[in-house]
Amino acid sequence: MSLTRKTLLLLALLLALPLVLSCMTQSALTIEEQAQAIDKGLMCPICAGETIDQSQSTLAQQMREVVREKLAAGETGDQIIAYFVERYGESILAAPKKAGFSLVAWGMPVLGIVFGAGVLVLVVRRMRRPASQEPQGSSAHAGSGDGEMSPYLAVVDEDLRQLIGKGQSPPQSKAAS
Amino acid sequence: MVQIGLLSLYLALAVSVYVLAGSLVSKAIKSPQLLESTRFSAYLLPALLGVATLALISAFLQHDFSVEYVAAHSNLAMNPAYTWVAFYAGNEGSLLYLALVLAIFSALAILLMPKDMVQSLPYTMAILMAANVFFLAVLVTMANPFAVSAFPPLDGQGINPLLTHPGMFMHPPLQMAGLIAITVPFAVMMGQMIDGRVGDEWVELARVWTLVAWTVLGIGILLGSWWAYTILGWGGFWGWDPIENVALMPWLVLTAFVHSIMVQKRRGMFRMWNVVLVNIAFTLALFGVFINRGGPVVSVHSFASTALGWTFLGFLGLGLTFSFGVFFWRLNALRSMVALESSLSREAAFLLNNLLFLAVTFVTLWGVMFPLISEIFQGKTLTVGAPFYNQMNGPVLLVLLLLMGVGPLLPWRHATRATVWHTLQVPVTGALAVAVVLAALGVRNLFALLSFGACALVVISISLEWARGVRARHGRGENYLLAFGRLIAANRPRYGGYVVHLAIVMLALGVAGKTFYGVQQDVNLGPGEITTLRGYTVQYLGDRSLVKADRDEIFYDLAVTLPGGKETTLVAWRAFYPDKNMAVTRAAIRSTPWEDLYIISSESPDGGRAIFRIHVNPLIWWMWTGGIVFIFGTLVALWPQQGFALELASSRRKLSPSPVRTEV
Repeated sequence: MSLTRKTLLLLALLLALPLVLSCMTQSALTIEEQAQAIDKGLMCPICAGETIDQSQSTLAQQMREVVREKLAAGETGDQIIAYFVERYGESILAAPKKAGFSLVAWGMPVLGIVFGAGVLVLVVRRMRRPASQEPQGSSAHAGSGDGEMSPYLAVVDEDLRQLIGKGQSPPQSKAAS
Repeated sequence: MVQIGLLSLYLALAVSVYVLAGSLVSKAIKSPQLLESTRFSAYLLPALLGVATLALISAFLQHDFSVEYVAAHSNLAMNPAYTWVAFYAGNEGSLLYLALVLAIFSALAILLMPKDMVQSLPYTMAILMAANVFFLAVLVTMANPFAVSAFPPLDGQGINPLLTHPGMFMHPPLQMAGLIAITVPFAVMMGQMIDGRVGDEWVELARVWTLVAWTVLGIGILLGSWWAYTILGWGGFWGWDPIENVALMPWLVLTAFVHSIMVQKRRGMFRMWNVVLVNIAFTLALFGVFINRGGPVVSVHSFASTALGWTFLGFLGLGLTFSFGVFFWRLNALRSMVALESSLSREAAFLLNNLLFLAVTFVTLWGVMFPLISEIFQGKTLTVGAPFYNQMNGPVLLVLLLLMGVGPLLPWRHATRATVWHTLQVPVTGALAVAVVLAALGVRNLFALLSFGACALVVISISLEWARGVRARHGRGENYLLAFGRLIAANRPRYGGYVVHLAIVMLALGVAGKTFYGVQQDVNLGPGEITTLRGYTVQYLGDRSLVKADRDEIFYDLAVTLPGGKETTLVAWRAFYPDKNMAVTRAAIRSTPWEDLYIISSESPDGGRAIFRIHVNPLIWWMWTGGIVFIFGTLVALWPQQGFALELASSRRKLSPSPVRTEV
């Protein structure tokens, strides 16, 4: 059974590889698709917290038209964005540039996550050096390998024990009487 | 009526000050009588604030425009049903609402405190009351909802038209309630810490209260995105807006907490860490309450412009100092003696889960704060919007989704590579097969394949868990249905958690469908003209107008031919409010599990033509349905196990020196 599973998996991997690779090569975008991507990166100057893609105001409609005209005239996305930044300032960008001081905006979270991961690794290392030895008796979940059902049976056993224990009079009171 | 409302606020303030002082004194002089007295006094708070709330609502219903708050947030034309929404539409009203919810939660928390935690009850009560005193003091001094103007206007200014939506009946109250409810697990835990009970006694009670806050907040957030989807007109559901972000952050930290608390419950580990998580969640909740009630934009001004801003900032600082002060005071006692046996175990998976949730929280907090930082250091305002969050948080959320498929299958304590592979091979193979099939069907985006593959991974691993459990029980002579029911009943936290995981998968399907395969089109149509988008043919038939007292409504009739050839009609709606110079739209949506056709009118030129934005949003239906599954899952997890869970947990603790930990 596990052999067939392994072959299945190998087959899947073999099938997946070329498909995954083919994903990397994106087909060329239409002007409208490019325009929508640019729209999503530009804020509407008169609307609170909306991009020109989101806003239904007349100004946003006009800005969207400008984006499409410029794309049709052969300008690149970067040129169009630069045009709007020149006219309205850097706050027109929906996200900070990845340059200069604004790079801090992008760098800090990455640093934070790397730092957090580092701390986690250190903590795990320290926790793995046991401060005191725990009794190893109840390691029912270690999955010692006697049949794939055993960990689940153990769970069920434990649950059943609890259910029965609660349903009838608790064993402690029996011991007391 | 108004005087009664104000009087109850003052009375409530007096009562909460008495309970705060009395509970601490009762602890100091060891007086159970005084404790009982303060305890019963605390039950007065919901009643008093209920009276204040009713007073304000009745002022709305009577159109008493001499009350400034009523004049600012309603008018004669307003549908009386929206009184409830108008009640919390502004600063003063939302603070009153927060105080009401806090009072109710405080009273419930005190009422449901198990008997064996009576030692720490005075501290818990004092912390709850400190928060009550804060909100009540702010209400009577700085934000009085019952302030009366000398020259009442004949008509009010009316409610913000954006708020006249069914989602608004539930979204803001649930979101605010969820945020403020985090005070309860915080107070329960802090009470035990101050009392020097650093063990695991607080865990079960805090877990229940956290789940309550977490569920309420989660539903509030989801309803908010449903509101945005149907009314804001850009066809999206999440804009990474500061208001959304400040509600999301505490929810994420609570999510980390409801996972890691399971490790403490079962293995007595992560004690310090759990305290830190509750502290962070509480601080972020206070931050969220502040941003929610007032300043929509996080800037230097939203804090500094008003005395209220400084007051909130002060309270925030106080909360942070207090919570971490107590933490460092008890740090040595909190150290857990239990070792992590393996980095290949359920415990380790929970740690990774926590890291990732905090990573998303950190990215989001950083994004919210960065405009402020740039303003201070550079003197220029920058926008940190959706592209930032999508690029930074998207990959982390994807890894979380993958972890959700793997983590629950890992055994506690330790595993070998072989056993892990043994449990994972079916889900992993299945997920890969799904990805391959999707790729063969033409899905070409790598992130889309990863997302759908991860969804499949989670669904398969949860199904396997269920199937194995049911089969094992069936082997003991229960029929399958009974076995399934008993399996869930025997361990509600675990299987409720799985149901919530399924809800998250449904949510992820919606997000992935819309993000990777949503299409949109702007069209300018004259009556009778036709446009097509992804197999849909939309014909604009014409518009009808309706003049109401406060607004001019326009109905745009649309004839739609579906991809299958069937025909249907849809109506997009738009209203203009001349007094507020504001337009509000309502999208025409045809929703199916496969995809939504979404048509919304834009600002249109005069002369019969109309501008529409048309979206086709695949799989969005799953997102809203997932919300219902989410509620169901949390109910399963919260439902008292065999009678009253808290009492049970405490009695079990009394009976056995080493607590029996339920399997998670």
